[in-house]
Amino acid sequence: MKPNRPRFHIDANNLREVIALLKQRLGEESFYISNIIGVDRMAEGIIEVNYFIHVVPLANTIVIRVTVPRDKPQVPSLIDMIPGVYSGECETYDLLGVEFIGNKYLRRGFFVPIDVASKNVFPLRKDAKV
Amino acid sequence: MSRLIKYSPWLVHFNTGACNGCDIEVLAAITPLYDPERYGVKLSPSIRHGDILIVTGVVTKKAAERLKRLYEQMPDIKYVVAVGACAYDGGVFKGSYSISGGANKVVPVNAYVPGCPPRPEEILRALLLLLKREKVEETEQH
Amino acid sequence: MEDEVVEKATSLIKIPVTLEIPIGPQHPAIHEPVLLKVYADGEEIVGVEIGTGYNHRGVEKLLENNTFYKDKFIASRICGICNTVHENCFTRAVEYVAGMEPSPRAKYLRVLVMELERIHSHMIINAIMAEIIGFDTLFMYIMRDRELVMKAKEIVSGGRVLAEFHMFGGVRRDIDDIKRDRLIEILKKVEPRLKYYRKLFENDPTISKRLTEIGVLKAKDATSHGMLGPILRGSGIRSDVRAEDKYDAYGEIPFNVIVRGEGDSLARMLVRWDEALESLEMCKYILEHLPSGSAVVDERKLPRTFPPGESFARVEAPRGELTYYIQHTGGNKPYRVKVRTPSFNNIINSGFSYLGHSIADVPVILVSYDPCISCMERAIVVDLKKGVEKRVTLREIAMGVAAP
Repeated sequence: MKPNRPRFHIDANNLREVIALLKQRLGEESFYISNIIGVDRMAEGIIEVNYFIHVVPLANTIVIRVTVPRDKPQVPSLIDMIPGVYSGECETYDLLGVEFIGNKYLRRGFFVPIDVASKNVFPLRKDAKV
Repeated sequence: MSRLIKYSPWLVHFNTGACNGCDIEVLAAITPLYDPERYGVKLSPSIRHGDILIVTGVVTKKAAERLKRLYEQMPDIKYVVAVGACAYDGGVFKGSYSISGGANKVVPVNAYVPGCPPRPEEILRALLLLLKREKVEETEQH
Repeated sequence: MEDEVVEKATSLIKIPVTLEIPIGPQHPAIHEPVLLKVYADGEEIVGVEIGTGYNHRGVEKLLENNTFYKDKFIASRICGICNTVHENCFTRAVEYVAGMEPSPRAKYLRVLVMELERIHSHMIINAIMAEIIGFDTLFMYIMRDRELVMKAKEIVSGGRVLAEFHMFGGVRRDIDDIKRDRLIEILKKVEPRLKYYRKLFENDPTISKRLTEIGVLKAKDATSHGMLGPILRGSGIRSDVRAEDKYDAYGEIPFNVIVRGEGDSLARMLVRWDEALESLEMCKYILEHLPSGSAVVDERKLPRTFPPGESFARVEAPRGELTYYIQHTGGNKPYRVKVRTPSFNNIINSGFSYLGHSIADVPVILVSYDPCISCMERAIVVDLKKGVEKRVTLREIAMGVAAP
């Protein structure tokens, strides 16, 4: 990804292992999760969830991409390992509908107004009529 | 314009979802360089003591209810000044359906201050024009 | 929130802070725009809930529905205080996708405007901190000196607050020798004032008593909760986007990354003053070493559509790391733009750090995280035992008046 950010594609089931390995190898003080960005690729029928992790000794941000099918978007949550994913996971759930299994703080209405949330619409999806 | 508040208007500032550009210019307008206290203008401690309501920001639908409530809580002889392009009709955010499109859809507005954001001197001048303490230039009639 | 916490608490303080976070296409009509729900047992804080009631204005959907050129103007109005860094990040993200490279002179001018903004933003937050702890005179003094910096920014870019300065491939205005000399004069006047304020914050007993040892963040907590910017650097982690990504002209301008180890509120404010002094030095260096050449872009020759691609641009905003992610599939409107402002991480993830402190420390800690100021509304103190609500200002909480 420009400008020279290495991108890794992994399977959703291996996500927790990979992050645990990162914690072990780098130590907790050397990296932080900077962003969790979901992208709706309606044409291919998938949703991409990108984890942007900034590694301080490398002075660069790496991207870990997980793709999930659009009709059943579920990813294991990282909140017990890294509490800082709270804001990113809650936002991605509220706007795109990606469920993070194990995160008990997920709720509709985190950002989206109640009248849209009650219609079960996820606003950032490409076919959402808002 | 009432003579009662002409020489000591107290301002109440309400931000209805602004980008804070207009807010920091309103904040700058109360600092020593522009010195509004020489006109008797100061920020009021509570809404019940306010005379002039300054509205900044694109009026989002949720903030519109609070704005209406705030306006009703102000004691009578009150004026509303809408500062910035967003409070006028939505500014750059026109077209987003989460906004109501301007302060005048919610409360009656007495003065608009154009700009994005307007300079502090413009804001002060709008207040003085409203209080009729500054002469309006007569335009040439052709 | 666990029920036993709610039972133990005797009062609940709701602090509404409206932030301009541009998340999602919707406006959240949550019942109250409450951000921090602080559960207190007497004086001590036992639980914090971050309620999310931001006023978003549907910015991300708006960015997808407009062309890239209009988006640049919308992006700078996401935040008025740090508008140049928003513009810069969006411009660079598009330049990475399109493969454009600005001229050296344009890069130096961009850095000049961003550093001037950093100085004025740090002055504002320190003025607010002084006001919260009751030091009104200092607030007025800092705001008066800040006007000099606004004048300098106006000379460079034409706008005091909104400096619509960037364009894809360069900048929109240039400075000549007269402007340069005037800028150097203004910077000479600002420098002794900044040094005086820095010394005051370190030595004055009123300030240091209220700020020392309050809100201590260990390095491990700061990274695992995703805090950014001066908060990280005040806890000992050396991470600054300007030194890492070396975007624009930061690779050529010498500067130091300020790091302090203590991790308390005083360390964070001193990091900001030191950064303001560093920015001043950088501005002086830029004005003396401006490369020659043209900086202004001819807007008629810019392309209408952009090639498909993906890019992730980061910038060091005064509050932390600001990121823009653009995914583009062709055409003149972007497919997906995601903006993550530093206050999104800093404020939402910060609930853990208030526990164990007293009520009067909450505004001090909140202001040391630098949420967007001038959107601080009044707080509501609810006495849970008596069921009585009282409206107080944040300043009254900080001065200890609000405890029931």
